[in-house]
Amino acid sequence: MRQPQTTATHAPGVRIDLIAKRSALLVALVGIWWLLSLRYPHYVLPGPLRVWDALSLIIDNGDLWRNLTVTLKRVCIGFGLAAVVSVPLGIMLGAIRPLGEFFEPVLPVLNTVSSAIWAIFGIIWFSISEASIIFVVFMTAMPLIITNVWQGTRAVNADFIELAHTLRMPGWKVMTKIYLPTVMPYFFSGARLAFGFGWRVSLVAETIGASSGIGYRLRQAADLIQTDQVFAWTLTMVAMMVALESGVLKPLENHLFRWKKEAETP
Amino acid sequence: MSNNGAAIAAPNLPDAGAIALAGISKSFPGQGGETLAVLDNISLSVRSHSIVALLGASGCGKSTLLNIIAGLVRPDRGEVSFGGIGSARFKAWRSISYMFQEDRLLPWRTTLANVEFSLEAGDMPRAERHTRARDALKLVGLDGFEDAFPHQLSGGMRSRVALARSLVTEPATLLMDEPFSKLDAQTRAQMHGELLRIHELKHMTIVFVTHDVEEAVILADEVVVLAPRPGRIREIAPIDCARPRDPTDATAIQAIQHLRALI
Repeated sequence: MRQPQTTATHAPGVRIDLIAKRSALLVALVGIWWLLSLRYPHYVLPGPLRVWDALSLIIDNGDLWRNLTVTLKRVCIGFGLAAVVSVPLGIMLGAIRPLGEFFEPVLPVLNTVSSAIWAIFGIIWFSISEASIIFVVFMTAMPLIITNVWQGTRAVNADFIELAHTLRMPGWKVMTKIYLPTVMPYFFSGARLAFGFGWRVSLVAETIGASSGIGYRLRQAADLIQTDQVFAWTLTMVAMMVALESGVLKPLENHLFRWKKEAETP
Repeated sequence: MSNNGAAIAAPNLPDAGAIALAGISKSFPGQGGETLAVLDNISLSVRSHSIVALLGASGCGKSTLLNIIAGLVRPDRGEVSFGGIGSARFKAWRSISYMFQEDRLLPWRTTLANVEFSLEAGDMPRAERHTRARDALKLVGLDGFEDAFPHQLSGGMRSRVALARSLVTEPATLLMDEPFSKLDAQTRAQMHGELLRIHELKHMTIVFVTHDVEEAVILADEVVVLAPRPGRIREIAPIDCARPRDPTDATAIQAIQHLRALI
């Protein structure tokens, strides 16, 4: 009898090696940035120290935290709404064949509409408000998640459906107990894409349709030629995306798909 | 207070373990437009609590026959009835379990959750599902493996989980479609022992499909031999050897030889 195995972790030596490599890369990039900044005026390319000062300033006066939370809130609401709507829709479109066939042309059309157009519609319909930014994120994320979940339904094992059938399981339970777990990995890859897009799109939307948020502050800094502040905001965003990826998404994925890991690595 | 006899007596439920097939015929559309007769006029009655094997070479329609009994395929002619109730009016389908050739364990569920899956079709409370699933795992000798995922189990253990999933609903009838054919010979023999031991405890009716003569002789009280194209009954052979049966025993060898000659 085979006993359940524990997941193999990286040997400590490999880990230290990786950390060393990453640090070297970071030092090299900052070094190149610093060298380049010596050759240009600070309003074209500010050096690392100047950007650090700008960053300290917006941290100290509360600007960073205030605008970061405003933008993050908008993205999360838009993304959350999109996920809540798209997962059941995607599953139903995949599970109920006539429904899927009927609506098939809609998704490519939605996917081709540029986010900038949604931003303009957002302003027309909701004027400059929270709703317009949320709308843009929603409209960008929704088709992406639906497409991925829909595609995921093709991976549903017909044998499992037949099993549910022998148990006389009602249709909605087949969706939640067989379709939903099967499409979860597809939902995740779609959601990751959608969150990234939603984030970028919300910044663009904020530059034209908001009076707060990172996008708004970015445009303000650009208008006042505070290039060091533009850099500071950009760094903030990159740091936040990295934190979300390694602090929320990856651990969540590892937990949800722990049944998969070992099954796929022989 | 009047003594209400009807209320005290056991409710008059149909015995879903007594199965009768009357004149079952089935054909499927074949290649090139003509119809392909798969089953022709099958009549058979299965006693409650007995073990019946449907034995035949491939193409004799034995799996189709099992699916018709399970209510998954509708026959063209004839009727299936359970405890005297025709399948059209029969309601207690959840008292019939179906075990497939493959284990069909859901890879994202733990062993315990896989067993519980059978109980989730209805509206049994979670706590009761838990206890029942634990008991079923104990019954097949897998206690201690509740939290393991299917990929962590050996083929024989996976087969036990599938068996537990079929038994957790306390079925009156267990239908099995070549359930152990993918296991190696030794594990298969172990599973035969397990199945017979559990049958001794639970007394469910078992109808199973096999092309393995030895398996039929070891397990069944009665072997229904099917002839192919179209599938019809060639002979219904009672197996009278004493249990536990040994395939090297003289009477068993005789029965095996007799059945081999028929298929």
